Amino acid sequence: MAVAVLLIVITGNMILTGTASAQSGTTISGIVVGVDTDPDGRLTKFAIADSSGTVTTFGVSEATEYGLENQAGDRWVSTQGEQPGEIARRLRDHRERFAPVTVSSESGIATSVVEREEGKLETSLGYLFAVFAITWALFFVYVLYVGRKQRVLQHEIARIKGPSEPAK
Amino acid sequence: MTKVLNFLDPMPIVSAVLMGVALWLIFIWVPTEINQGAVQRILYFHVPVAWGSMLGIFVVSGSSIMYLWNKNEKWDRLAVASAEVGVVFGGLMLLSGMIWARPVWSVWWTGEAKLTTALILFFIYVAYLMFRAYFPPGAQRQRLAAVIGLIGAVNTPIIYFAANLWAQAHPPIVTGPAADAESSLGSDLGTVLLVSTFAFTFLFIYLVQIRLKVRKAEDDIIELKRNAGTHAPISQATPDQAQSTEARGTS
Repeated sequence: MAVAVLLIVITGNMILTGTASAQSGTTISGIVVGVDTDPDGRLTKFAIADSSGTVTTFGVSEATEYGLENQAGDRWVSTQGEQPGEIARRLRDHRERFAPVTVSSESGIATSVVEREEGKLETSLGYLFAVFAITWALFFVYVLYVGRKQRVLQHEIARIKGPSEPAK
Repeated sequence: MTKVLNFLDPMPIVSAVLMGVALWLIFIWVPTEINQGAVQRILYFHVPVAWGSMLGIFVVSGSSIMYLWNKNEKWDRLAVASAEVGVVFGGLMLLSGMIWARPVWSVWWTGEAKLTTALILFFIYVAYLMFRAYFPPGAQRQRLAAVIGLIGAVNTPIIYFAANLWAQAHPPIVTGPAADAESSLGSDLGTVLLVSTFAFTFLFIYLVQIRLKVRKAEDDIIELKRNAGTHAPISQATPDQAQSTEARGTS
């Protein structure tokens, strides 16, 4: 049981600290309001208007990642280095459809541009924690159930053996 | 006296260490997936418990075949222990899948092929255990239970290939021989999934092991009562105990 409790404490702490640190950096969700390209059609920068109306402009790098859906809901995943022209077209499509996106950035350079997450980050972490908690709770309940059953049976064995062979 | 939670036993120690490593990889080491964010980490629980549930039904069916072949009680005990642990893994597979589906699909459940066949596997486990609990003791019960176990084994490859065969909402296979190269996980995510699967496999083996000890203790009680001449009437024993006694009595 001590190992089990230790696992719960350690991993609970991991969820709170590890995933939080993984999510560090600026993240903004909003509507695409501007898409700039170079003469070759390669995306150079784009602008997002968030729910308060604030417009934020982001630069891009070769490593910027994209996960965008078309109107039918098919997700397209790529990076700036792979398909720069297609990215500009996809973002313009989002601008025309007022489809919201979530942009993660560092120092004004977008690191990822994805379809807006369905809910708040905290909500997603809640789902993760729910799976973690239910998984371990069920395992521990099962181990306790089997352990209790084993103890009852051992007592029964000791009772049957009786005085001729005392229980250990 | 054999203790269920014996810390000197290597299996729980190995399971705990592997699980600790897996959890560190899941929550600290592996990068956050770009499309789904933190919630994607559910994958490292969902896939291993799904694997455990399928492993369970394979052990049930394999043990059932062995029991039907040589009528050795140890195979029947292994089948029951695996079924009981398998239903725990199967339930977790469904629960973790539903919780994961809510944020990424916006629904708790859909009637698509992969989910439906997985639910059928869970029902097969439940049917197997209920059948053993309520059917009158006897050789017929064990034979029919073995057949239910075999049906579950037939369902397993259908679950594995369902996402590729019907191509619905559930992502295609990302691991194993049928994995599509385009859908396969990257090296980091794949490594964590592999370690997590190992950890849950060891946990599965450990749980089956302690469940087998309980079955052994039940059989010891029957044996002791018979030797002491204080055998409880069949109606007072559990169905499995009664069956064990019958089998020994006829062998």
